Amino acid sequence: MKRSTSTWMFVIVGLCSGIAVAQHPGKSGSTTATPPSLVSTYSSLADTILGAREAEKNLVHAILATTYGHAQAALAAANTKLHAKQDARAEIESLAALVAQLGNEGDASVAAVRKRLVDAGHHHHHHADDQNKDEYDEGFVLVTKAAKKAFIDASKEIGKLAASPSAAALDAQWQKVAAQFQASCEGAKH
Amino acid sequence: MAEGGGAVPGILRGGEALTLLFAAVVLDLAGAAAGQAPPLSFVDVAADSGISRVLLAGRPGKDHLLDSAGAGAAWLDYDQDGDLDAYLVNGWRLDGATVVEKGRNALYRNLGSGRFEDATDRAGVGGEGEWGAGVAVADYDGDSWPDLFLSSFGKNVLYRNRGDGTFENVASRAGVESPGWNTGAAFLDSDSDGDLDLYVATYISHSLEQVLQARPDLDWKGMAKVAVGPFGLRGAADHYFESDGKGGFTDATERAGLSDKLLGYGFAVRAADLDVDGDQDLYVANDSEPNYLYRGRSDGTFEEVGLWTGAALDGDGAAQAGMGVTVGDANADGLPDIFVTNFQDDHCTLYLGEGGGFFRDASDETGVAAPTYPLLSWGTAFVDLDQDGDQDLVVANGHIYPQVDAHPDSGTSYRQRNLLLRNDGAGRFTDVTADAGPGFKPAKSNRGLATGDFDDDGDPDLLITALDDRPNLLRNDTAGGAWLSVLLDPAPIAGPAIGAKVTVRTGTRTQWRDLASSDSFLSSHDPRLHFGLGAATTADRLEIRWPDGNRQAYEGIPVNLRLVVPRRLPDRPRTGG
Repeated sequence: MKRSTSTWMFVIVGLCSGIAVAQHPGKSGSTTATPPSLVSTYSSLADTILGAREAEKNLVHAILATTYGHAQAALAAANTKLHAKQDARAEIESLAALVAQLGNEGDASVAAVRKRLVDAGHHHHHHADDQNKDEYDEGFVLVTKAAKKAFIDASKEIGKLAASPSAAALDAQWQKVAAQFQASCEGAKH
Repeated sequence: MAEGGGAVPGILRGGEALTLLFAAVVLDLAGAAAGQAPPLSFVDVAADSGISRVLLAGRPGKDHLLDSAGAGAAWLDYDQDGDLDAYLVNGWRLDGATVVEKGRNALYRNLGSGRFEDATDRAGVGGEGEWGAGVAVADYDGDSWPDLFLSSFGKNVLYRNRGDGTFENVASRAGVESPGWNTGAAFLDSDSDGDLDLYVATYISHSLEQVLQARPDLDWKGMAKVAVGPFGLRGAADHYFESDGKGGFTDATERAGLSDKLLGYGFAVRAADLDVDGDQDLYVANDSEPNYLYRGRSDGTFEEVGLWTGAALDGDGAAQAGMGVTVGDANADGLPDIFVTNFQDDHCTLYLGEGGGFFRDASDETGVAAPTYPLLSWGTAFVDLDQDGDQDLVVANGHIYPQVDAHPDSGTSYRQRNLLLRNDGAGRFTDVTADAGPGFKPAKSNRGLATGDFDDDGDPDLLITALDDRPNLLRNDTAGGAWLSVLLDPAPIAGPAIGAKVTVRTGTRTQWRDLASSDSFLSSHDPRLHFGLGAATTADRLEIRWPDGNRQAYEGIPVNLRLVVPRRLPDRPRTGG
């Protein structure tokens, strides 16, 4: 919150400087042109805004990758127990929860941040564009609605395996998750 | 004959009434023999009954969501005279930024002849001047008298029943005032220690000043300016209060694993054993966000599993605007199903249990999606209104924006009819509202809904609250089938009855009901569990599973009886906690 306030203070100071410049035209003598310093400041701000959008995409990608890594670890732990003929319920349910998190583009804490952004009017994908509105849930960055459903469906199937675990069935579900994850990550490249 | 040497449970008062009810059932069986489902019939008798308290609801223009959230209702037998009394929660009336009137809650004592008297002042349960929201009923202190927990925009109220017809507000010393916009609440014994803990959902983090200064600034379909939210407003974290067994509670939200990190816009809460593992779980209907399913571990801790068990989103993977929730068994497979009411232009969702705590959105295939889509839905209940042995669905409806009435082309209206969906016995629902009698004709902006047999004729009636209006008391005049009513009478030493499950078998049909402190939207139903038995003349078996896992069973129960089942002391020590 403090960082955000500082940023806006900087912008406001910049704008005030620009206004002062506008009241005292420089050497160009033009009184109709926007002062270059204001344009420059605005351009810098645009870089920041556009850069933030890219940074958001990269950050969400990192969140997904981290979650995916945790899921891989849960899968490995589940398989280890299954091969040792031990109870793997906890590991499989953990895997299910992580796959659901992939569909939800993060856990509840991440969703809370996303909610803050949406509530403030920020949408990574412009929902004025009907195509994007159909494609993404509000505030989602990389996981499309279709991908979300695929992850959620897979998470449920994995969760069900906790009661009657089978390494082969688990692997079959995981292949779906892995493929969907790769497809979602492709979005991060565009 | 009773199992285990016990007698058939005691018959509640009213032997003469019982005789009359047998006559009514004979008429019904004649209809059933002809192969015709009796028409459902409801008549609003609120005016004649004396139940008249108007639900105050902010400003006429509903400038803030609080103005249009409404409040709940409850059925309880607060004086334990054998019949149901009614309780209505109330809000405030505003004029712009001025508080015009702080509404008073109302307790209506049943006089036994379809008439009620206002016992609010005598009982001391007017609501303490808070802007009321929900009500949960339970004997939280184990003294055998039903108490009232009232969630509020402001401080919550906990009315302890003194047992002499009066109550005292003990919320402060019990530690559950928790100021905020509190909504749904549910008592449950989550740590198996024999006392009732409490979960309270919250909606939005707003001050009274923000409510008073609110303006309808949100553009609605380019047609009108309406109340802002919930998007754009900060949500608030739900709370979980652990009982110390002595009437006090401690906020144990984080320790219990119930931290509401999403700050979801919570409305309704239902405690139930949703994965059938013997302990209580929690379902929270969130507005515009994934619903929560907290799986209980029976040690006072929970795990949120809604997303991967299929209970958080609709079948397309989308979050909906959850308002109310009820739990029952739509398709008679023995597994709990969850029905969640949602906003307009979206369907209410029936999550069918798949076993193991998994669910799937079966709204389309069960027929509940289409009739609910054009309505903005709130209170609801699984209830066998025609007593044919399956649970029907009733839904209270009403918009939150009165401005929509200025735009007839919008396809909606502020006041809406309630909805009655009849179960065909296989879990397929049909909209029978139009043929459900005059009680289902009027349109209001309805909210809370509680079912209860206030006239003791055996069938469930409906109490429904409505914004800026008197409640509807819909008397069920359906010539339905046979019935059984089961009141669980716990032994204090053995813990509460909340969370108990009663199963009744007639022939090849098995039904169950669970005792919950709250259900629907901010409301609480008749504590006497109702079973419709169709043409059956005997219930073959009745089994109670108490929250601590102990069971009692009886066999060969005559139908059309009110049973009071006293708790047998546990034959094994309680576990956990």
